[in-house]
Amino acid sequence: MVSAWAPVVRAVVRAYRRHYLHAYLFISPVLVAFGLFRVWPALQTLYFSAFRVELARRRLVYVGVENFAELLHDEIFRQAVTNTLLYAVAIVPTAAALGLILAVLFTERFPARELLKAVYFAPMVTSTVAAAVVWWWLYNPQYGLFNALLRMAHLPPSPWLLSTRTALLSVILFSIWKTVGYNMVIYIAGLQAIPAEFYEAATLDGAGPLQQFWRITLPLLAPVTAFLLIYNGIFAFQVFDQVYVLTGGGPANATNVVVLEIYRQAFQRYRFGYAAAEAVVLFVFILAITILQFRTSRRFEVTY
Amino acid sequence: MAGRALGRWLAFLVVAAGAVVMVLPFYWMVVTAVSPAPEIIAFPPRWIPSRLVGDHFREAWARAPWLVYYKNSLVVATVSVGCSVLFGLFAGYAFAVYRFPLQNLFFLLILATLMVPVQVTSVALYVFLARLGWVDTYQGILAPNFASAFAVYLIRQAVQTVPTDLLDAARIDGAGEAQIVVRVVAPLIKPVLAAVAMLLFLSSWNDFLWPVIVINSERMRTLPVGIALFKDPYGFINYGPLMAATVITVAPMLIAYAVSQRYMIRGIAMTGLR
Repeated sequence: MVSAWAPVVRAVVRAYRRHYLHAYLFISPVLVAFGLFRVWPALQTLYFSAFRVELARRRLVYVGVENFAELLHDEIFRQAVTNTLLYAVAIVPTAAALGLILAVLFTERFPARELLKAVYFAPMVTSTVAAAVVWWWLYNPQYGLFNALLRMAHLPPSPWLLSTRTALLSVILFSIWKTVGYNMVIYIAGLQAIPAEFYEAATLDGAGPLQQFWRITLPLLAPVTAFLLIYNGIFAFQVFDQVYVLTGGGPANATNVVVLEIYRQAFQRYRFGYAAAEAVVLFVFILAITILQFRTSRRFEVTY
Repeated sequence: MAGRALGRWLAFLVVAAGAVVMVLPFYWMVVTAVSPAPEIIAFPPRWIPSRLVGDHFREAWARAPWLVYYKNSLVVATVSVGCSVLFGLFAGYAFAVYRFPLQNLFFLLILATLMVPVQVTSVALYVFLARLGWVDTYQGILAPNFASAFAVYLIRQAVQTVPTDLLDAARIDGAGEAQIVVRVVAPLIKPVLAAVAMLLFLSSWNDFLWPVIVINSERMRTLPVGIALFKDPYGFINYGPLMAATVITVAPMLIAYAVSQRYMIRGIAMTGLR
């Protein structure tokens, strides 16, 4: 009996050693790192959201859904959510449209093409914080360059970051400047993937450049567009650095965003449980966008 | 034919005008950093300084330990890129080449972490690291970046393009699995590894939210944290030194970019699309 099974056992053990052991060995560093520093904190966030953390007495007080109930009536959090949504709705389509226009313009063979492309992408490699410090100076109402340019053009100066009416728009302008190059590069890659024969055939059929853009370019770029809208959308919900530097969330919470609010509640007011509840809400938003991605990307799947 | 040429020049004009807008903040940063103080706030603005001044740099340099910030940024970025690429290489290989129980579950779990960014988990992660005694340490700054789901995913895609025959040939020659990964697979997918490494370096080097949470002391600050905290107590008058400080902060990355921009842009395009 034993001898009959021995080869099978040996084969299984060999297969196991050759593949399973290596497989688990090879993925274990990633799993351990993610388990400890991503998955565990994610579960803990959910757990904390049901507690009030009393740091002074080093204890957790169970409060159930009280944090979430409070969030519903928290004017500041509601404004942070509204601002984040406004920010996302403003920046995502604008940056995509500008990126697409630039990418299409870059299909023309004009001088200094590579250099100009590099210029548009430069803000992307610059740290958001450092770039925002520069823009903070540009936005200075008295001495900043932007108001100097407006005055030179005989236009009224703007308070930029200092007024509740213009502060969020100023943050959005910065973010468009920062991200447009990325979208452009992704669109250029997308344009290069469209076979040239499509355009040749369209030209033979007498389609003009505008018609070609609407009938060929735009539909074939739909997967790229879907990717960018989702990708930029998710990042828009995580916006923090530029707000921290440019306005600190002010004036009067006009530029407060969800991540800044989490940061404040947790690390300035030490309300860890409440901040965790806010983080859960942020996660729900990101989850919603991701689900949207799966839905739309399937619909936009193009094969050619 | 004339229409084509016209279109080309029109495109050039629009793109060039936009490029001027894109460059303006960089240009003004440098001009402010090297201009004599009165010219910084002059109206109309002085586009070219009457003479170059080094005072702002001297002051900015004296007020903060920039070399410490550089060192911290470099250590953090290097270790996070090294670990993420190495771990990602082996994990990506395992997911691409082997079939093993719970494979899909593990892979989905890793991808799912992309949906839970540090912005969401920062509070719990901080509490956890505080218990480990990792607050204000390199390990603490690195914790969320030891591994990258993005790296695992892209490397798996790349390994899938490597012919299985090649791996089997190496096995027949007596190579161990780890040897195959390092000696056979890694050289074949070098462009992807390089693009992933570059992108991770960039994001780690410029990362702000998590470092500003986990760093307490000046000697642990990375460059973005350094410049953000440099700006705040500095008041509203000394824009010269502030812009000198931002030049100090962004110069290494911009120089690296200027040298390798074609390659960097290609890498981004490669990793951005699937």
